[in-house]
Amino acid sequence: MLDLFANFSTVTFQQIAMWIIGGILIFLAIKKEMEPSLLLPMGFGAILINLPNSGAQHIIDVLFKFGISNDFGELMPLVLFIGIGAMIDFTPLLTNPKLMLFGAAAQFGIFFTMCLASFVGFDLHDAASIGIIGAADGPTAIAVSMELGSKYIGAIMVAAYSYMALVPLVQPPIIKLCTTKKERLIRMDNTAGKAPSKLTKILFPIVVTIIVGLVAPDAVALIGFLMFGNLIRECGVLNSLSETAQKVLANLITIFLGITIAARMRAEEFLTVDTLLIIGLGLFAFIFDTFAGIMLAKIMNLFSKKKINPMIGAAGISAFPMSARVVHKMGLEEDNQNFLLMHSIGVNVSGQIASVIAGGLILTFFR
Amino acid sequence: MKFNPHFLGIFTDIYGSYDAMDIPKALLVALVGFLTVVSMLAVIALFIKLISFIFSSIEKKSASKVETLISPVENQKPRAESTGSALPETESQGELELIGVDEPTAAILMALVSYRTDIPLNRLIFRSIRLVEDE
Repeated sequence: MLDLFANFSTVTFQQIAMWIIGGILIFLAIKKEMEPSLLLPMGFGAILINLPNSGAQHIIDVLFKFGISNDFGELMPLVLFIGIGAMIDFTPLLTNPKLMLFGAAAQFGIFFTMCLASFVGFDLHDAASIGIIGAADGPTAIAVSMELGSKYIGAIMVAAYSYMALVPLVQPPIIKLCTTKKERLIRMDNTAGKAPSKLTKILFPIVVTIIVGLVAPDAVALIGFLMFGNLIRECGVLNSLSETAQKVLANLITIFLGITIAARMRAEEFLTVDTLLIIGLGLFAFIFDTFAGIMLAKIMNLFSKKKINPMIGAAGISAFPMSARVVHKMGLEEDNQNFLLMHSIGVNVSGQIASVIAGGLILTFFR
Repeated sequence: MKFNPHFLGIFTDIYGSYDAMDIPKALLVALVGFLTVVSMLAVIALFIKLISFIFSSIEKKSASKVETLISPVENQKPRAESTGSALPETESQGELELIGVDEPTAAILMALVSYRTDIPLNRLIFRSIRLVEDE
């Protein structure tokens, strides 16, 4: 009989703390509906992996080895990119290519945070992996930190996905702080630009892959899978594959991705001062991404006749489509006839491309 | 130091190890990385502009050919186009018979046809729009 309860005595305080963290993630997913598809599996996985002598450890380790580790080329995040690519409609961006620059500007947080992490004392690989939290893009963050061999992947994932979920809370105060009421009231023309032709939509993913591949060869896997998904969507002859990629494939990978991340959420690895530092640095990354996007819009307004609402710059972080929605909603709060959605979505999808390019560049620089 | 040979090589001068960087090195790395992302996206934006320009000029050429072909028929009617000035893309004119359809519905239908076929409204001719009752 005593044998049945023998496991109780092996429970550590750190493991209990991890159960609580897992519980908080599940609470945020269910009660607050914050990235539930990822926070819930991650939360449950954190509990699973931190049970004493857990029988789930082996299977989660196997999933990690085959699905996320670079032994098998970061299979899950890359395959997930096919689904994400199939979900993204680049039309708003193709209609107004200028929006591309905002996506680029909003990657500033990645590089700024990388510097900051380096100053704090993380080695270059870990600093770069922490910086990539600012990509606001889970699969990119996983792929980069795995490829660079960071030992903080658990903390990086929790920070990346939590802040993505917290975009509606993190961004509005920064946007308000960086803009005046007059700027937030700027209306933008929703009729400008001609809808792109089908051929343009088909050529776009192919050419982007080639351009990025030539400059940053390490980004080819990331951008290539994203653009492959988009090509399936836009070609017009693979509708059933496109739907499968958007729904079945993306959902299937998401289920396993969240729970597999838990392999790096063991109490002894996760409960460190470094984790707290990483979570703090992740917040910096999001703040400076938002700040840089807004500032670029302000600078462009100095030289442009057609004024840009600086709030759309904040959508350049690739938390898609949450960030675009936040900006649109803030525009409506200021003026109920100010519809910024088309522009903010354009900026948001450009952020998606930019974050993948930034991730690839970091790999090219530091691998 | 292990370094990726594919890139420009500038980083070999910027840092010499994988240890934490000092402030000037870190800032330089960040600046170069950020500017590279910006310039790559600017190149992609230029590419989109270029493609759009090429397609719109091809479209204009083929449109002018179509106009030449239909001009003898069009000239039989006293229409504004015959004055020689082409209508702006956002405008259209002519007569349209509406049977059991109100004007706003007709406008929506015409816009939908234009959007779906990718033909600007100023190059579409609608003779009539008729409501088809369910049997």
